[in-house]
Amino acid sequence: MSRPQTYRLVWTVAVAALILIYPFLVAEIKVHLAVEVLVYVLFAISFNLLFGYSGILPFGHAALFGIGAYGTALILNHFPKIPLPLTLLLAISFSFIAAALIGFFCVRLKGAYSALLSLAFQMFIYAVALKWRSMTGGDDGIGVTLPDLHLPVLGIVSMKNIYNLYYLTLIIVAIGILACYVFLKTPLGNSVICIREKDMRAAFLGYDVFLTRLAVFSVSGLLAGLAGALFVLFQKFVATSCVGLDMSLTVALMTVIGGSGNFFGPVLGATFYVVFQSWVSSLTKHWWIFMGMLFIVIVLYLEGGLISLFKSEKIRLWVSRLGK
Amino acid sequence: MSFPIEIYVTQAMHGLVYGMLLFLIASGLTLVLGMMGVLNLAHTSFYMLGAYFAYSITIYLGSFWLSLLISPLIVGTLSLLIERFLLRKTYKGGHTAQLLLTFGLLFIFGEFARIIWGTAPLTISAPQVLAGNIPFMGRTYPVYRLFILGFSSLVLLGMALMLARTRLGIIIRASVADAEMVEVLGNNVPRVFLLVFGGGGALAALAGVIAAPFLSVYLNMGIDALLDCFVVIVVGGFGSLFGALIASLMIGQLQSFGVMWIPQLALIFQFLFMAVVLIIRPTGFFGEKE
Repeated sequence: MSRPQTYRLVWTVAVAALILIYPFLVAEIKVHLAVEVLVYVLFAISFNLLFGYSGILPFGHAALFGIGAYGTALILNHFPKIPLPLTLLLAISFSFIAAALIGFFCVRLKGAYSALLSLAFQMFIYAVALKWRSMTGGDDGIGVTLPDLHLPVLGIVSMKNIYNLYYLTLIIVAIGILACYVFLKTPLGNSVICIREKDMRAAFLGYDVFLTRLAVFSVSGLLAGLAGALFVLFQKFVATSCVGLDMSLTVALMTVIGGSGNFFGPVLGATFYVVFQSWVSSLTKHWWIFMGMLFIVIVLYLEGGLISLFKSEKIRLWVSRLGK
Repeated sequence: MSFPIEIYVTQAMHGLVYGMLLFLIASGLTLVLGMMGVLNLAHTSFYMLGAYFAYSITIYLGSFWLSLLISPLIVGTLSLLIERFLLRKTYKGGHTAQLLLTFGLLFIFGEFARIIWGTAPLTISAPQVLAGNIPFMGRTYPVYRLFILGFSSLVLLGMALMLARTRLGIIIRASVADAEMVEVLGNNVPRVFLLVFGGGGALAALAGVIAAPFLSVYLNMGIDALLDCFVVIVVGGFGSLFGALIASLMIGQLQSFGVMWIPQLALIFQFLFMAVVLIIRPTGFFGEKE
């Protein structure tokens, strides 16, 4: 193996090991934070699949997150007999279907029009969640009791235990990220990038632009729904904030803060966002000002997002000097 | 459901008033979007700040009329500074950078207002002349709403004349069509854009001032208006002022009659409307094809 490859392997193993033993290193409250980070990481990854890789800005991505979340909560409450994995599977198939429907209209339009149409759909679903009180509880939301997970070897695993929940979330999020990564390596994933670069040229080369973009929209919706489902397991609660404008904007900000040009940018962005927000909001109740300033600083001085810090030559040089 | 005819007329008038108010806010937004492709999320913060400044000016200087003059001036200057020192740096960075920047400003202004004016909604009373009601089709109608209608029509007229009859207006309209070409022809487009941005901010603040006695002043007024503005600029077509006028008036009516007939769906009428328009005619009523 060449030296950079070795370095990369060592880093990957170190980070993976850290993530695995993380719950035992910190206080329980930090484990809660970590679960939240994981959920948002998956959501941001799904957002970036559209934003970074397909050139579609889904301004109302919370719609799909919310459908996954409400789907999970409703199944848990109305059909408590259904085992948890099947519940999750059902919930993400709802969001997949919804994404296919919304995408059917959104992917035909360009730029800001597409973004705002997706926002319109999100507001529609928001209004349904707010007004259909008998089903969704309106403003009050729906609380859920978490079922136990029946596993072949481990027996009954309670989801009320945050450590168990951490590992469940970790596994599912890892599968989601891996699926996304593999998807981008397939010929379909490559044609998505090709269409982003120049859709007319791709069409001339024989790619079905509409169908390809619809496919990626649906896959992204599925992942967003999965994040939503995990969010319900974590919060034990779902409310209209899950389908609100704030949620849509939050995921967009996470992605851009981390850097949308890189696969792991959203991971970094979501982690940073959640941790930074929790830190600043513990210091001051006017934390929105600091969040606002953060966005402005990143726009003006860090164009490629936080991930570009790792890529910049200056920093790399500085790190290598430290190593000597 | 059937209502007496006076109710229909009153509702139509309400819708017209709200539509004109919306147009005052959205006009700046659509021009900025049309000229430089900047979707300014902080635009309705100018509207909110305008209303809050109007509150303070009315309290301390004791005159609503004075606030009608000073508040747009303050906010206009603020928006000039923002364009010149922040937004201008992001043009090379593309739309994402602008979205993020203006979103950051939205937070900062919102929090700023929360710190200074608190979270409770504030009310301004309309000047004595405009208070009260006048008889109208056997019922009464508040004078202040008629004032909003008249005042915003005047502003609209002034804006239309400016855009149609002055050299600056011609440059602005040409820049909406093709900013690069206008610049090549020897016009200072960045400076014109600075003016449009400042003017748009001042207009939004003006709308905030006249809305204040009517809708009261509260923290979320910016966000509420922002969503309606999105619908207006999409339905009207990016950069089209006439489209924005038509769309604003339609949304006004839609809101007003929607609340009357199907109150459960009042939240989403405009979004359903936007979705339908986008699906049928993706560039809005008067938007140019890309």
